[in-house]
Amino acid sequence: MTHFIQTLISSLSLGSIYALIALGYTMVYGIAKMLNFAHGDIIMVGAYTVIVAAFQLGMPPLVAALMSIVVCVLLGVLIERLAYKPLRQAPPLSVLITAIGVSYLLQNLALLLFGSEQKAFPTLITLPELHLGAVVIDGITLVTLAATAVIMVGLTLFINKTRVGKALRAVSEDKEAAELMGISTNKTITLTFAIGSALAAVASIFYGATYIYIKPTTGAMPGIKAFTAAVFGGIGSIPGAMLGGILLGMIEQFSKTYISTLWSDAIVFGVLVLILVVKPTGLLGRQIKEKV
Amino acid sequence: MKTTTKRFFTALAAGALLVGMTGCSTPAQDNQATAPQENASASGEKEVLIGGIGPLTGDYANYGTAARNGAQIAVDEINAAGGVNGMKLVLNYQDSAGDPDSAVAAYGKLIDQGMDVSLGGVLSGETASIVAAAKEDGLLVLTPSASADAAITGNDSAFRVCFTDSSQGTASANYIADNQLATEVAVFYQSDIDYSVGLYRAFEAQCQASNITIKEVQTFTKDTSTDFSTQINAIKDSGAKLVFIPIYAAEASTFLTQAAGKLPEGTVYFGCDGLDGILGKVSDVSVAENVMLLTPFAADDPAENVQSFVKAYKQANGDATPDQFAADGYDAIYAIKAAIEKSGVTDPSAADFNSKLVAAMPEITVDGVTGTMTWTAEGETVKDAKAMIIHDGAAVLYTK
Repeated sequence: MTHFIQTLISSLSLGSIYALIALGYTMVYGIAKMLNFAHGDIIMVGAYTVIVAAFQLGMPPLVAALMSIVVCVLLGVLIERLAYKPLRQAPPLSVLITAIGVSYLLQNLALLLFGSEQKAFPTLITLPELHLGAVVIDGITLVTLAATAVIMVGLTLFINKTRVGKALRAVSEDKEAAELMGISTNKTITLTFAIGSALAAVASIFYGATYIYIKPTTGAMPGIKAFTAAVFGGIGSIPGAMLGGILLGMIEQFSKTYISTLWSDAIVFGVLVLILVVKPTGLLGRQIKEKV
Repeated sequence: MKTTTKRFFTALAAGALLVGMTGCSTPAQDNQATAPQENASASGEKEVLIGGIGPLTGDYANYGTAARNGAQIAVDEINAAGGVNGMKLVLNYQDSAGDPDSAVAAYGKLIDQGMDVSLGGVLSGETASIVAAAKEDGLLVLTPSASADAAITGNDSAFRVCFTDSSQGTASANYIADNQLATEVAVFYQSDIDYSVGLYRAFEAQCQASNITIKEVQTFTKDTSTDFSTQINAIKDSGAKLVFIPIYAAEASTFLTQAAGKLPEGTVYFGCDGLDGILGKVSDVSVAENVMLLTPFAADDPAENVQSFVKAYKQANGDATPDQFAADGYDAIYAIKAAIEKSGVTDPSAADFNSKLVAAMPEITVDGVTGTMTWTAEGETVKDAKAMIIHDGAAVLYTK
């Protein structure tokens, strides 16, 4: 039983990180109809920003964390402006290839700047461990879970209750019609990239605080997993990304604990294939009718 | 507006290209600066061209650069002292990025430049390819660090400075049994690299002979090397007081950081040469408490030759502490020097240069920073391993 609860908690923590990243994928897809494969590498940039700000610029850890959010938002918007906006009318495949190019550019820049050796993430806050019988929960795990819950509720309210959120939904629904209604598509897309990158920065802070060591390729695997989570939950759907992220974290950790550490990734992607065979739009995805 | 953003994008792309190109060309430029066009320098002095190949870029760049930097220090020291048998040593290191195909291409390039002695490769995979390619050339191949058992087989002129993976696994089990460190152990190894698997297999085999029970075996791969919580829980449940970790320092630092506070205090972590440099990799040295390393080289070893090497390496490389790979590279050059002295060769272009060097290898004794070494005719090194234990953030020689 201890084993089970311990696994459940670590899977929720991992799932929360996936969910935060998956939100960025799904929002960008929902609004700009493109897969931003550079999104995973934003996490890596966020983590390195914290390291540089805390160790080299001597900022207090929490200021360093805020700094990382600012840098990621600026970077996300900059990437959109320079790499994706000029291709707005281009075929989706060109944008996809560009995104992969940006991803490699970021990884190699990090390799040049920081080297291939892993760097340690600073201790942001020291929290006591929580002991519940034999179950030990790290302080950072609790913070991750609480913060993710708050962010998800906040984001849902923002999308559903505010004017800007309404504009986001309108653009996602029908770009041309939204434009006719006086909504600026470009501004909306920029905002989406900003929100997505901010969420990636938050994910990077929790990732760094939980797993400590950062490399130039740190963003790649969580990026792919989060993309999987977004597809799993139904790409374009915000609750879908949250659900997908948490479920993916659970499948991964439970198969590691109870089946095999070697097979966990195969199982994760196997489940994805199964879900897509049964429900091609993902768990919460909507069937989109092609207009003729 | 539209054209400006386009221009921006083009500039960005061009910038990226430029960055990529500089990244690739740096090592090549270094090489050109030191590469001689022929075996005789302007002053008429003969030169022995030693060619090394290893990952100087990419994921494994730290291993290749460490081996190259270590070797370079030995070359500089020997040349400063007047060379060997009237010849100067020249080192030319080529980048393989860890890829066997690139390594063989680099080998061909070095042969074209007139390589006299090869340092093989740095990683096991690339070395096996180089050793096979070098067979028909007959020159001495002395790899600093390729430890997979099969890396130097099939070529009688191939030797290595490091231990083989299997001998390290066997030695670890023997050491644990001889010093009564534990009778019940857990193992945590990386299942997708030869080094870790080779060590584990030999360790497992020797454990049966030494009456050590392996209570739990947990693994991970390169793609799953960030979260070890499930493995740590399983090791905790097994109740083992010693965990054998035949892995590299980067992954070990992740493991130790996550295990801190989870595994009982006093748990001993036992690793091999892959763990060298662990103190520089962990975010907090307290997590490395009770880590034991069975390794031929330790930068904290107080021996005089080790300390003078560490000092020279730090001076030449921006205060970086040399690791196992650097020490292997350094000793490889001194072994070549010893072989040249023993065989009495004075001209790298002589027809019997290669065969005389190879014949001298099993006869030399080198007092290096990785121990006092001799070689068997099969190319394996014979030397002692030291056991170090980490206490209060420093590695000290282990005494019972």
